[in-house]
Amino acid sequence: MVKKRRLRLIADMARKVRAYRELKSRPRDSQKYALDYETMKRPHTGKMLPVLAWPDVRKESRLFSLLAGMRLFGMGRLFTRKSWLEDHTEPSYWQITKVKVDYTAENMDHGRAWGILTLKGKPGSEVKELDKVMYHDWRLVPKHMEQQLKDFEPLPEPPVRYVPYPPLIRAMLLAQHKKAFGSMVAEEPVLPLRRDVLLNKDYFRKREQETQRTEGTPV
Amino acid sequence: MAASVWKRCVTAAVKVKRLSPSLSARRWMLSAAYTDTIVWESRKKDPQNLSVLATTMDRTYDKNLPVSSLTVSRFVDNISSREEVDQAEYYLYKFRHSPNCWYLRDWTIHSWIRQCLKYGAREKALHTVKNKIQYGIFPDDFTFNLLIDSYIKDGDFTSACSVVEEVMLQEAFDLPSTRILSLHALASYRAMRPQLTVSGERALGASLLICGLRQDNNVGLSAQLLGNALLGKVEMLKGIHGVFKGMPLFWGHGYLDRALAVMERVATASGDVKLSKDTLDGMNDVLQELSSSSDSDSSGAESAGEGGEEEKEEDTIDEDDHAEQAKLPHYVSRFKELSSQLESLGKVDSASFQASVAVLAQQDLAAVEKSDLEQYLIRVQAWEAENTQLIKREKEMREKAEQEKQERLAAKAAAEQA
Repeated sequence: MVKKRRLRLIADMARKVRAYRELKSRPRDSQKYALDYETMKRPHTGKMLPVLAWPDVRKESRLFSLLAGMRLFGMGRLFTRKSWLEDHTEPSYWQITKVKVDYTAENMDHGRAWGILTLKGKPGSEVKELDKVMYHDWRLVPKHMEQQLKDFEPLPEPPVRYVPYPPLIRAMLLAQHKKAFGSMVAEEPVLPLRRDVLLNKDYFRKREQETQRTEGTPV
Repeated sequence: MAASVWKRCVTAAVKVKRLSPSLSARRWMLSAAYTDTIVWESRKKDPQNLSVLATTMDRTYDKNLPVSSLTVSRFVDNISSREEVDQAEYYLYKFRHSPNCWYLRDWTIHSWIRQCLKYGAREKALHTVKNKIQYGIFPDDFTFNLLIDSYIKDGDFTSACSVVEEVMLQEAFDLPSTRILSLHALASYRAMRPQLTVSGERALGASLLICGLRQDNNVGLSAQLLGNALLGKVEMLKGIHGVFKGMPLFWGHGYLDRALAVMERVATASGDVKLSKDTLDGMNDVLQELSSSSDSDSSGAESAGEGGEEEKEEDTIDEDDHAEQAKLPHYVSRFKELSSQLESLGKVDSASFQASVAVLAQQDLAAVEKSDLEQYLIRVQAWEAENTQLIKREKEMREKAEQEKQERLAAKAAAEQA
């Protein structure tokens, strides 16, 4: 029998106090994302930014540097990112719906924002938190260009193509079908070239359970 | 006490003196009815002691609790002297750097600008509007109109243009009266032929462009042309990043190209569309300056051996900007042929930009002012309703807190007795 674990009450209390103090001393956004522009180092961690980001950091601005100078912190305005402008030809932008500013920042330069994303011309449906807010990558869409971005009609997606299975797997499938149902299958089994499946642990676990239920060998 | 009474008399006298020129003013400034403070003064007063409010706010900030926007609005409403304007500025700054900064009310901002104008602290108002990040002052269009008009009446076109620059940064050219006033300020400033730095030209060009884009007539088109020309000049000198960083402008290259496109649109448009002559001259000047400076640059680069240092500075201007600079002679030739085409079609207005703005103001300003005033009255009533609701809510919360405190005390007394 395993000896019962000793009741270390004081250690538990110390652990709780340490966790509480860590929670209380979390750095604010303005401290965490402050940057020394000469040495390209973050004073909070002492780490340097990647070299490929240096020209962008010098030239462009963070999202909240733009939002601080706008009425109501830019609610309802559209913002693009320079990397999206370079990568995609179709317009991608965020529309801001909610802003929470870090008021300890000197120039109201940091915070969190929520909005609706339109990626490559396809508008989103729900409000999500903007990621990469602290990246020096953001550009304001001026009001006279807003309509041009919103009017963009994305091309409809081409239909899913189907492809015949490799011969051995096809033979296995036909044999399985004959064993299960007794008759030849009416049409050729085809493999879709795009599957809308989120590949995570639950999916694979379900698959394993299903294969365990069927018995015997395929061919 | 006596000093503040004396000061109030002086400011009242100054106010009377300032009202009389406006009655005999020319038609293109806002009429007396617009700048009149009767409607604003006739609101329901909420007299509060400023020192009490100040100590309350200080105590709340010390305890790290949020200050309500109602306290700040009461403070600004009850300003009665020039020193109190400075104190209010400090409290506005503190409010901006508190968790409630988003809730600064529109009527507080309007009241602040009105009070600054009343107590002769116009530079302070301009300073807070310029540092809007630190003070959170984002005036609405009526307030902007008042501020620009007070500068135009005194002939101080430089400050009027800085206010127009703030309007441009907020992209608040919605009301026609704002557009007319800002175009007038910009045209008069330009007529003064000031010595502009590159950043000054960028601000002027951006204001002209964004104001002109909202205005759908000849004056607007001339403003667009001139704005695009100035921004094209900045683009050639500093690269496209120097143009749109920090301003609500499009990041695409080729501002001079867009200026030429405006001229083409005017040339091919049917109807009575004209561009004023001095904007075309302005664009000509810009192009001449750019081509002469690029000639001197190329001749200078052959001689000097300081290429190493210049290389590093020009890294900020990348290949796309070099491509733009290469297109400059092409733009010059296109400009010459388009301007000759416009002259042959008779689409060049010989009146100056300033004169055409004055004509526009004379025609439209009266009607537009009336609609603005009606909107303003509705807005003031809505603000008053919101204000009373806030006061009511604060009173209810205070009563509830009192009640809870009484209950707690009673419970404690009962526990002690038992």
